[in-house]
Amino acid sequence: MDLKLNEDPLNLANTILKDIKSSENLGLLRCVQCGMCTSSCPGAMHSNFNPRDMIEKILEGDETVIEEEDIWNCFYCYTCHSICPVGNSACEVNQILRQFAISKGTANKKIQPFLEFGDIFLSMALGGIPSIFFPEMREDIGEDWWEFKMNLDNVRNKLDLGSYIPPQESIDEVNKLLINSGFEERIEAIRNNKKP
Amino acid sequence: MKQIPDKNITLFKSCLVSTEYPGIESSTKYVFDKTGIDYLVDERQTCCTGLGHYSDVFDQFSTTIIGARNFYLASDNNRKNMVMLCATCYAINKKVANILNKKDETREEVNEIFDKSDLSNMKYEKGSIDSTENIFHVVDILFNKKKEIAKNIKYDFSNFKIATHHGCHYCKVHYNDTIGGIRDPNIIDELVNACGASTIGWYDFKRTTCGAGFRQRFVNKDLSMDVTYDKLKALKNDDVEILVHLCPNCHVQFDRYQNYISNDKNDEFKTIHLNIAQFIALAMGADPYKVVGIQTHTVPVEDIVNKLETLPEYKEINEENKIGEENV
Repeated sequence: MDLKLNEDPLNLANTILKDIKSSENLGLLRCVQCGMCTSSCPGAMHSNFNPRDMIEKILEGDETVIEEEDIWNCFYCYTCHSICPVGNSACEVNQILRQFAISKGTANKKIQPFLEFGDIFLSMALGGIPSIFFPEMREDIGEDWWEFKMNLDNVRNKLDLGSYIPPQESIDEVNKLLINSGFEERIEAIRNNKKP
Repeated sequence: MKQIPDKNITLFKSCLVSTEYPGIESSTKYVFDKTGIDYLVDERQTCCTGLGHYSDVFDQFSTTIIGARNFYLASDNNRKNMVMLCATCYAINKKVANILNKKDETREEVNEIFDKSDLSNMKYEKGSIDSTENIFHVVDILFNKKKEIAKNIKYDFSNFKIATHHGCHYCKVHYNDTIGGIRDPNIIDELVNACGASTIGWYDFKRTTCGAGFRQRFVNKDLSMDVTYDKLKALKNDDVEILVHLCPNCHVQFDRYQNYISNDKNDEFKTIHLNIAQFIALAMGADPYKVVGIQTHTVPVEDIVNKLETLPEYKEINEENKIGEENV
């Protein structure tokens, strides 16, 4: 790492602690590097991701951790979060690091495949799996699944369930809120490979 | 233990339940009706942003605004007890409530967006939705109705080998609110017991994630499926016939991808997958197609349904109206 003798090594950790996502009393500065997080992590079991290392780098003020490929292998399963003896959460910290990478404009390629989540929300106030993944899912899961997807409204009618699409007034409200929050601008910047 | 409500409930729609396993919603309503739970589904409610949020597309601020709007609807209906069908909706909405109640600056910024959007009526008032007191998962509500569930059971699941998978975003995120254990989660096991059946209890990898990992399933598929494979192998070692879930995303991962993993690893798996509400509804005698929605499943549930036997005291009823006969 680059030595930054005139800088507080805890700048990065403190920035994380001030983030909107950071939980009250997040134990980042209390980490004793016991490794419980890594030993229980599905990402660590099957890839090079190592949450203990990630936290160590943060506590050393090593900002290169933001650009590390391995941080994208966290499953957001919160197993580490649920067992940490000092109330730290590598999972939550990982989410904040990824947002830092997005803000720096270095993670656009990671986010681009998922932008339809934003598009569907802006246009229909819906969640659900983006259709960009449907062809591969159809191949992996099979034609029965695809037929069901094509027949969803009928299946829902049979189950006596109404439309899952909110009324237009609700869609308009959500659209306005997400434009005013800067969300639409953010996803357009990511789509156009710019810094959000 | 916290107070668990049975009235003034908003049953919160889930995007994955709506579009992948709608039978989870109809089964939940069926079981709620049978056990005397007072609830409403508001069509104005939107998705919590969960899948997009955990794919890092939604930032926490935008998710908090969407959450605050949904909280407004629950308050507007005088149904502040918000009950989730999905573990991720549960985790997301609890987080949003904590942020809105504890981070004054963020709450003010969220309210400024409501003002700017001519939706000042939706502004969030500190403390109006409490993360612990107002936000629940369906399993919490059913846990409180175990006696009523037991009274309504008509079909016998006791001959099946059953295991449970507790979604991570129910058990591990806001763990102080989790009922039935965190390191050895058991709330679904207890609900299966209320239906007169038992589970295998602890098994290797019981606590492990389903493997979906949000982005991982779609852009890192081998990594995602390797994690799911660990769990499927553990279930196979214990000859599990039914895995009972509480989260539609885990349900997608196991039900939709089990055959894919079987083919990929040349290792056959036969476990079928049911949400706990579907399981209880079937045990109560709900129609498998018109209520439980088993036709939307990839691993066929028919084998289990056809083997279900009526409890002796309901034998006569069964003779007159065989389960789902018109659709089989």
